Amino acid sequence: MKNNKNKPLQIALFGMDDRAYKTMSMYLKGPCKGIAVVVNEFEAEIDIIDADHIKAKALLAERKNKGASRPILILSLEELSIEGTLYVKKPVSKEGLLTALNKAKEILKTERLKQEKKITEPEIKKEEVVVAEKKQAGIKHIDKEEKKKVSKHRTAMDLTEVGFSAYIGHVDGIDFSDRKQLLNASYNSKGFFLGYVQSALKVSKAKGRILQLNSGWKPLIIFPHSKEIWLDADDKQLRSFAGLAIKSNSSQGMTLTPVGQNSSNFNNKMEGFYDVDYFLWKLAIWTSKGRYPSTIDIKQPVFLKQWPNFTRLVVTPHAIQIAALLILAPRTALDIAKVLNIKPQYVFVFISAAHVLGLVGQAKRQADDIVLPSKEIKVAAKKGLLSRILGRLRG
Amino acid sequence: MNQYKIIFTGPVGAGKTTAIDSISDVPPVKTDAAASDMTKSRKAATTVAMDYGIMNLSDGEKIHLYGTPGQERFDFMWDILTVGGIGLVLLLDNTRADPFKDMRFFLDSFSEFISDTNVAIGVTQMDLSSKPTINDYHEHLQAMDLKPAVFSVDARVKNDVSLLVQALLFSLDPGLEGE
Repeated sequence: MKNNKNKPLQIALFGMDDRAYKTMSMYLKGPCKGIAVVVNEFEAEIDIIDADHIKAKALLAERKNKGASRPILILSLEELSIEGTLYVKKPVSKEGLLTALNKAKEILKTERLKQEKKITEPEIKKEEVVVAEKKQAGIKHIDKEEKKKVSKHRTAMDLTEVGFSAYIGHVDGIDFSDRKQLLNASYNSKGFFLGYVQSALKVSKAKGRILQLNSGWKPLIIFPHSKEIWLDADDKQLRSFAGLAIKSNSSQGMTLTPVGQNSSNFNNKMEGFYDVDYFLWKLAIWTSKGRYPSTIDIKQPVFLKQWPNFTRLVVTPHAIQIAALLILAPRTALDIAKVLNIKPQYVFVFISAAHVLGLVGQAKRQADDIVLPSKEIKVAAKKGLLSRILGRLRG
Repeated sequence: MNQYKIIFTGPVGAGKTTAIDSISDVPPVKTDAAASDMTKSRKAATTVAMDYGIMNLSDGEKIHLYGTPGQERFDFMWDILTVGGIGLVLLLDNTRADPFKDMRFFLDSFSEFISDTNVAIGVTQMDLSSKPTINDYHEHLQAMDLKPAVFSVDARVKNDVSLLVQALLFSLDPGLEGE
């Protein structure tokens, strides 16, 4: 029989990120004089769970299920009394942790004595290794599959005025410098791919089913639970299709069909997955091409419900500026362009994209006219300094 | 000479040091020290004094980037830090047990400074924990009658931090034009 008296306890940590994991490892080594060392879950004798972690309940259930007779230490800000666990109050003190670990040591000792009567030590080890190998094999498999998937959180594209025209393309026959034409520069999303995607999203969400939108072009698959879209098309292809007006009689070719999780369409093309908001935002930009949605009354003020999550979207020219102004109070699109001294197309594109995500609204109540802000905006005392910081950030 | 500062605050492990590192022109002065207790069991090294970085502007002016100590026992320093501050960047860790509690705590602690300037909020670690969502944060903020910018942020990504600071600047004055 091995002498375990001076051997450090082997513990596994759950519900801790890398930083907390390292902190605990150092804490055990330093202030706790090496009473325990952190090992992987398969080699551990004791489990420590951070009960303030978002998934603490699930972790505890899992450890109770998998760890069987292993002592479990619960670290929590609130006092807890959970059967079969040892509690350590946060902030964790050296004394509190050492007391709990010593109790766990006693439990282990009792359990070992019971086990030794039933089974020999080498057999236990062998069994643990087999289980561990099976589990590790499973983890590797998942990692391999996950690696194929390109992150759906694509970094924001920050567009300048120079690159923007080329990015969105242009609409023939509209002279934006002509006020009359400008006021009529609208589009109806229902006549474009955008409108069909929006309708399909609504149906998919209502039914809670994965659906495929068949447009006669490339199939688009909607995953309502993960809020993702799959489409096997690059930006150039999507931009071209987004700008094409779809005649109402040809829309009869648009169908929605249910899709199984194992569809061969997207299984090997992980790069085709997009976050729904990112996709819609981009699609709206390419549908707009500098025009505003016809559902918006150009002469009425619009309001912004909340800031768009710009770090995960395409940032069109002046979009942050427009959002900052519009979050203060409702304004008409043309008023925004005038106050910020920018081309109306930039405002129209922003309104189109924000509108498709439901971030922009237009109230028709009488009261909205009354609270309209003055034409001028408050100028910061340190305007020059702030402008230089901005210039530096935009490099 | 004026000392202009942008203050980065938030709980331990939210990415303040990394965010400053992302946009600083000089290697930031890190004052991280090995955690000697488990007051905050989130980080092997924690900021006990403050982090510091610099952004050099075109006219030779310097913007000082200060990260507040994450440990709440150092909150007496926050008042000193905010003197001359341009605005506040609040970083929140989405994997924490109750990030809304963190948000309320920091918004409350800096309420005076925020009312004089403005705040932009970056939510980190959303790749590890997608909930609460950005919309959830907005709902909480609207209940507090606040409408600041709230972005998902990877503090290691310069563009994410840059966009967050740009949102802060435009919140101070939407009419700004970069020089």
